[in-house]
Amino acid sequence: MNPEIYVLWAAAIATLGVYTILYRENPISRLFEHIFVGLSAGYLLVATWALNLEGKWWTPMVAERRWYWIFAPVVGGLFYFIYSRRLGWLARLVMGLFFGTAAGTLFREFFPIYAPQIYACFKPLRADAQIGWFDVAVHHWVFVVILITVLSYFFFSVPHEGRFGRHLGRSALLGRWFLMIAFGAMFGNTVMARISLFIGRVEFLLTDWIGHYFP
Amino acid sequence: MQQTAPTSFWQRLQQIPRYYIYLLLAGVVVWQLIFPIQLPILPSAATQGVHDAIRAVPDDKIIIITTDWDASTQAETGPQTQAVIHACFQARKRFAIMNLQPPMGVKLAHDLAEEAAQDYDVSYGVDWCNWGYKYGYENVLMALGKDIPTTIGDDFYGNPVTDLPMMQGVEDIEDVGLVVEVTGLSGMTEMWIGLIQGPYRTPFASAYTAVMAPLYYPYLDSGQMQGMLVGAKGAAEMEVLTDKPGRATRIMNVQSWAHVLIILLIIVGNLGYLMARGRAGERAP
Repeated sequence: MNPEIYVLWAAAIATLGVYTILYRENPISRLFEHIFVGLSAGYLLVATWALNLEGKWWTPMVAERRWYWIFAPVVGGLFYFIYSRRLGWLARLVMGLFFGTAAGTLFREFFPIYAPQIYACFKPLRADAQIGWFDVAVHHWVFVVILITVLSYFFFSVPHEGRFGRHLGRSALLGRWFLMIAFGAMFGNTVMARISLFIGRVEFLLTDWIGHYFP
Repeated sequence: MQQTAPTSFWQRLQQIPRYYIYLLLAGVVVWQLIFPIQLPILPSAATQGVHDAIRAVPDDKIIIITTDWDASTQAETGPQTQAVIHACFQARKRFAIMNLQPPMGVKLAHDLAEEAAQDYDVSYGVDWCNWGYKYGYENVLMALGKDIPTTIGDDFYGNPVTDLPMMQGVEDIEDVGLVVEVTGLSGMTEMWIGLIQGPYRTPFASAYTAVMAPLYYPYLDSGQMQGMLVGAKGAAEMEVLTDKPGRATRIMNVQSWAHVLIILLIIVGNLGYLMARGRAGERAP
């Protein structure tokens, strides 16, 4: 028999097994969940070795005699001293190194990520030769109004009392409505994503699995 | 919270057992997969942006397709990857697949590229290649910006990338004309934009699962992204642009009908709520 058939049946049984959760929590669904997690973890281990460590660490150290690579796992191994009360400082040493590196990298990433989005908030609110009135009215004004009202919702330093406070309160209320609409759109996208995954599995069962026998 | 037993028709409408809803949804999905009633798919500006960005890549530069997804989001990210690959092959642009996390994505994308390659006169190493899974997140990207051959080292098959014909002359990120990020993981885009698109001005486009997409619209608006594929819908639109109707077109059609069912169920539930409340108001002294 073609080995592909075994793969097909295994995938079909796993799909149906996982979907038994729709009836109720049960051992079959749990079993396939654990198999999936185990397979992913196993694949990660093999891929990390075969596609990274072997070529970048093991081969240079053993075949090319770059002996100093032996210190890499020694430094990594310092993390495990977290379990020792007496030598825990060794783990903190290497953690500090990693925290510093991560903080530096994040600092470097911050401005290229957010600065262009801040510039993009400054949109022209009058039509001219480049931007038509429709773009200005529909895109720019809507954008700016929503931006200001939502920002005012998150402005907690002034109580919604008095002349200014009441205006701020109205703006914040409008901002809350816009946020609710945005959350609704995000939830709609979530529903769409979940259904896509479901359709993908049903399509596999119908087309690949059953379709294999009844083309 | 324990639900009270429904007493009237309108209350029953609010408490339809979930098994019936699952069965109805499964019924609609199976019905549309077997007897499809095709609805039109019109490419959005965001999808058109991805297509245009691929075609705009200069011939002396390569495209990086980074496939940070795995089997759990394959129904959306798989067709997205395949549609992007078709667009690259049609535009005769050389591309390299790579992956930062999870490692399964690089194998799944490799299979899709091999399948798509059968439709064109292309070959591995000349028109496309697979750099494989590279562990190290930001460290990989920072190194990639300065020296691609040393950072990547070996390809998916374990051969040095410097041996591949398409990699001749590819030294650093200046030789990359576009990065297309296909992902089901949030956080990856921030890395690419923060360390590659921002500092080096490398054009960037993306494809996300529909769950993630709303978070990334600001990047599209600010011009940090050239285009974006949103879930199976984006993949289906890309299939229309590449004239290669496939899995996403099938999925999206079924999806549209599933959405109709969900909208109907929401209307029914809310109608039940409003009517039951109205009746309760009438009975109140």
